[in-house]
Amino acid sequence: MGILILWKEENMNLYAGKVLMIDLSSGKISVEPLRTEWVREYWGCWGLGLRYYCDMVQPDIEPLAPENPIVFMTGPFCGTMVPLTSRFSMISKSPYTGTIYEANTGGAFGPELKFAGYDGFIVKGKADRPVFLKIEDDRVSLESAEAVSGRGIFATEEFLKEAVGSPEAKTLAIGPAGENCIGYSCIGSEAYRQFGRAGAGALLGSKNLKGVVCRGTGGVRVADVTTFLEKVRQYEEENIYTDDNLWANTDGTPVLVDLTNDLGIHPTRNYRFGVNEHKDALNSDAIKKAKVSARACTSCPLACGKFTHINGAEVEGPEYETLCLSGSNCGMNDLEQVIRFNRLCDDLGLDTMTGGSVIALAMDLTESGRHDFNLKFGESGEYLKVVEEIAMLSTERGRELAMGSKKLAEKYHAEDMAAEVKGLEVPAYEPRGNYGMGIAYATSERGACHLRAFPVDSPDRFDIEIMAKEVADSQNFNAIKWSMCICDFWGSVSHEIMADLLSVGLGEPVTAEELTVAGERIWNITRLFNLGAGFTAADDILPKKMMEQPLGNGPAEGRVFLKDDFDRALKIYYSARGWDEQGVPKAEKLVELGLDQIRI
Amino acid sequence: MMGKMLFVITDLCTGCNRCTLVCSAVKEGLFVPSKARIHVNNFPLAGFSAPSICFQCSKADCLNACPVEAIYKSDDGVVLIREGECTGCGECVDACPYGMIELSENDIAYKCDYCGGDPACVKVCYPHALVFGEPEREFRKQRGLQMRERSDIGRPGEKRNNLGTNLLEKRRNT
Repeated sequence: MGILILWKEENMNLYAGKVLMIDLSSGKISVEPLRTEWVREYWGCWGLGLRYYCDMVQPDIEPLAPENPIVFMTGPFCGTMVPLTSRFSMISKSPYTGTIYEANTGGAFGPELKFAGYDGFIVKGKADRPVFLKIEDDRVSLESAEAVSGRGIFATEEFLKEAVGSPEAKTLAIGPAGENCIGYSCIGSEAYRQFGRAGAGALLGSKNLKGVVCRGTGGVRVADVTTFLEKVRQYEEENIYTDDNLWANTDGTPVLVDLTNDLGIHPTRNYRFGVNEHKDALNSDAIKKAKVSARACTSCPLACGKFTHINGAEVEGPEYETLCLSGSNCGMNDLEQVIRFNRLCDDLGLDTMTGGSVIALAMDLTESGRHDFNLKFGESGEYLKVVEEIAMLSTERGRELAMGSKKLAEKYHAEDMAAEVKGLEVPAYEPRGNYGMGIAYATSERGACHLRAFPVDSPDRFDIEIMAKEVADSQNFNAIKWSMCICDFWGSVSHEIMADLLSVGLGEPVTAEELTVAGERIWNITRLFNLGAGFTAADDILPKKMMEQPLGNGPAEGRVFLKDDFDRALKIYYSARGWDEQGVPKAEKLVELGLDQIRI
Repeated sequence: MMGKMLFVITDLCTGCNRCTLVCSAVKEGLFVPSKARIHVNNFPLAGFSAPSICFQCSKADCLNACPVEAIYKSDDGVVLIREGECTGCGECVDACPYGMIELSENDIAYKCDYCGGDPACVKVCYPHALVFGEPEREFRKQRGLQMRERSDIGRPGEKRNNLGTNLLEKRRNT
């Protein structure tokens, strides 16, 4: 099945200049020059991947059909010394939400892909048997993965590294959850990092693509390496080793356990409460006691990953979202059990956020007498057991939970108990205690997501007008930030810093203004796609629970995000975006962003 | 006479590879970690990373193996290469038990030279897993543990991986 590619060309600055195209149906692999005419408008990762994706499909495409492509795209800084820039994006249509779908992962695969000579790769078609993609510089082939069919991510990654005979190789893999096309299955990378949330694993699984292994021995060029290194050093000193970002080094995301409890926005026991009275069992101090080592993505000095070990259970993490949604939200105030849960999910390839959220819903349904799933808040035995049942679809209970909260709630007439937007479960920041997060969830392009706007500690969190505008601004900013794939945890990065680093790296001037416009352009493309896929303003909504049921305890006790207030917020948001009252971008906005000619 | 030396405190390494990125940028003019003079052996599943460095061995196998005496030791104890005299025979590559000397595309041996006494890798190592200093007792102890992990055969990458694998095994047993 091997296909040899012989094509070398001089690298561009910051970009490899090539994209791999893989058709799994025919087995054909080809290399195309990077569409440089798109680079200056979409830059990389999310934006550039989105541009490639939208050029290839209509929005009504069936996500799990062979003809649906999956685009993997790195960014301009990936593989360089710029810290916190090793993430890369996956773009497709989500089999879980039916929306446009971007996920990105850290670790070391993105840089390795650049070193192999590719900015990205695009997979379409479907292999007739399980295969993996092998990339060794300019030697690229599809090989049989039947030996690891049904195996977990950890064993698969081991197999993939052995297949290239290089311990330095980096890997992507799916586990049984992805092979079984579960809506919230992940693609794992380097054991504990994932393309998560809305079914990245299922997308690969539907194509019979079990994994990707990459070894790259080439390099990434910049215009003037000495100036570039000096610029990087300067920003590290002035803008990274500061209070805005150093929490990632000292604590990592578990620092948010205390913060969100203090604010009363820490989802607890299926989003009934905003404070977990037992949070000390899961907070950063608890993590530090269990910590063995700190772990970093390539190029990142902050090493936010905390590798923990308790009684033979170990994992890199758990991260905040897992501590809350798989911990507090399931009444599981036992770090050892959350570590076990986290590791199982990572190996089988399930998203811990949705996993925790769906199990919490099943616990609530059980305890309220609506349906007995034999799952109870705080009881670890069944909580751990059900993970495998979901991933393997091996029991009735597992198959039902594998549907996700929206469908599970529909089946048991429990829409009042579920916490999802556009079918994606609500992250670990309670919108009744922060209206800004509510607006962010309702308007995120991939369903409830905390990575598009994050006004979590804003003093104006109940001011609807300020929040609606701030969410739109943050989404635009994050759209370009994720298109450089700069990690969320470089919180103080700005358009100006990005533009400066691009200018020095490329050797040609880039302005903060063009990046600002690019962010808004990218956000608007996601909107055009979702409108084309059948979504309307009615889908920009919060769960009933958040609009009707008062929060149970803490500083935000008794609060709801009333439908009237929410409708007002949405109106302000649409107006701030230059969209009409139905949430459709106005013609003049599309002209302003250079999107009037685009076919989506 | 040995001056300052490079030491690795393995348990502090986070696997970020900033050392390999900056090394390659300084030595090769682009970010190409595969050509760095330092390497990081990553074991993500175990949450462990172990850098491989040139120990500037007092009895250097690479130096002894060189048939044309292109490898020599500086007054500071740093093992260096006279590039003009290297014939590219590769004897040094086979001889180094740590996989820390390799041949360039032009068949010239290359290795760590401590950047002339101010190693770039140390300056970007935020967790201080790399230290350039006097051979204090604790540093010497770490160095001794690492230098025990010799491999007689294998490609440089395999030898480096062996060092990492064995150090991980030792951590597991303590």
